[in-house]
Amino acid sequence: MHPMTSRERTDAILAGKPVDRIPHFPFILGFCARNLGYPIATIYSDAEKSFAAQKMTFEQYGVDWGPLYGYASYGTWEFGGQIDMPTGAYQQAPAHKCFPVKAEEDIDRLILPDVRTAGCLPIAMAFSRLQERHETPISVVMGGNFTIAGNICAVERLCRWMIKKPELAHRILRLATDHILDIVTHWVETFGAERVIPQFWEPLASNLIISPRQFRHFVLPYLVETGERIQELGVRHVLHHICGDQNANLPMWAEVPMGDPGLCSFGEEIDIDRAIAVLGAQAVIIGNLDPSLLLTGEPAEILERCRQTIEKGKRAPRGFMFSVGCELAPETPGYHLFLVQKALERFGTLGEP
Amino acid sequence: MDADRRAAFLKQLHDAVVDMDEEKTPRLCREALEAGIDAYTAIMQGLAAGMDTVGRLYEQKEYFVPELLLCSDAMYAGLEVLRPQVKVGEHEAAGKIIMGVVEGDIHDIGKTLVKTMFEAAGWEIFDLGKDVKLERFAQTLRETGADVVALSALMTTSMMAMPKAIAMLKAVDPKVIVLVGGAPLNAEIARQYGADGYAPDAIAAVETAGRLFTKAA
Repeated sequence: MHPMTSRERTDAILAGKPVDRIPHFPFILGFCARNLGYPIATIYSDAEKSFAAQKMTFEQYGVDWGPLYGYASYGTWEFGGQIDMPTGAYQQAPAHKCFPVKAEEDIDRLILPDVRTAGCLPIAMAFSRLQERHETPISVVMGGNFTIAGNICAVERLCRWMIKKPELAHRILRLATDHILDIVTHWVETFGAERVIPQFWEPLASNLIISPRQFRHFVLPYLVETGERIQELGVRHVLHHICGDQNANLPMWAEVPMGDPGLCSFGEEIDIDRAIAVLGAQAVIIGNLDPSLLLTGEPAEILERCRQTIEKGKRAPRGFMFSVGCELAPETPGYHLFLVQKALERFGTLGEP
Repeated sequence: MDADRRAAFLKQLHDAVVDMDEEKTPRLCREALEAGIDAYTAIMQGLAAGMDTVGRLYEQKEYFVPELLLCSDAMYAGLEVLRPQVKVGEHEAAGKIIMGVVEGDIHDIGKTLVKTMFEAAGWEIFDLGKDVKLERFAQTLRETGADVVALSALMTTSMMAMPKAIAMLKAVDPKVIVLVGGAPLNAEIARQYGADGYAPDAIAAVETAGRLFTKAA
């Protein structure tokens, strides 16, 4: 099979067609800023520079798909709170500074954000226009419903309300869900349903925080509703980043409509074999090398762990893309990312269809 | 008070914490004091025993963070009633611990749970909060002479502050026990960074600190 371009590889995997090698899906935002000598905040505050830094870094390290804009604390700023851009030596991504909801009575004052002007959305839209111009996937990135809810009222408060005042938790989740649907509608109206691939990052629904029973009651219904409504808009693929240890939630994720195929990326806590067993029939599997290993590991170990991940991923029936399980630390040695490229070239080829 | 009635009081206190009852727990504490139960006994055999059970339920995956937070609220509501009644100087703390989330990181839910479990285990705690400048850990160690320092990080990048923090702490007191924890860490990284111990969760943190502290003593 002739070597494919990144775009050919991405198009093929979404169309369920053969690829020349396992694609490398990016989760390396701050690393790209450092690679170009920019402050990390540039990735989140300047669409042009962010896109360019990612595109150049992807070219250097053979990364596929296309540049992304988004961060896990999404929702705080958009609903009227404040975030801090990363400026310190040990900061990786925007962080909450002040939550919009600090007490019960604040919920009454919450309104759905204007998706044309709220928070980071104008930057996200500028970024998506670059994705359109460069013909890369138009991936508007948000938190999942539960994660946005946690970013509105602080996860500790959401956790307490789930047990003591579940009606308040549901009110926040309702707003988060309506906001997600507003965003996807706006993106679809701007770029067309066939071009938009929404991404939902859901770290707060991890079993490090909530139980599978709480997931079923407070997360799953909103994910299902969102998935159904997005498909009604004509969107073909949705990407869920199933972040952290969600082993106990995994069977429930299989109930979430996510397109044909859907796309599921996993934290390093989930074994790829199990991810394939549970979600492989409906989704492209993406994952999931431990970013701590890429930061601190020895080259031989990194190469071997890449090989193991790739070999497991090759068995995914709807396709597999290699990625780190969570965002790569910006300080990761460049040679370690080069080892991923080397592993994909050495072990990730798929031969003639 | 007879032993049966006393045990029943303490059991009710235990259960109120396990049942996450923030209203009932302080009421029972007041009733316990009125009935002549020693405040320290009520703390250790009522509230702290309740948190021990909560820790076990967490390990067994019966309880998760929402339940832990509410049990912790109940315990603190009880402590507010009982602590002022503990006779000063009569009971020694299990040890002194400084804790905080390192510079660059604002994720403190794990640290909050660690604090609760150390509180229940009778440690004297100096909680520095989140996004703590590394020098502040060292300064607090100088001021308090703590036995243990527990550093937390959720992000891979903030984790990288730990080796520097550990070096600063060991420069102040080479014998201080440094524990690290948080999602991106593991025992191997803890070892590379020069920590004395790694704990994957709040319950393990108390056990590890206790074990290392006993060994060092």
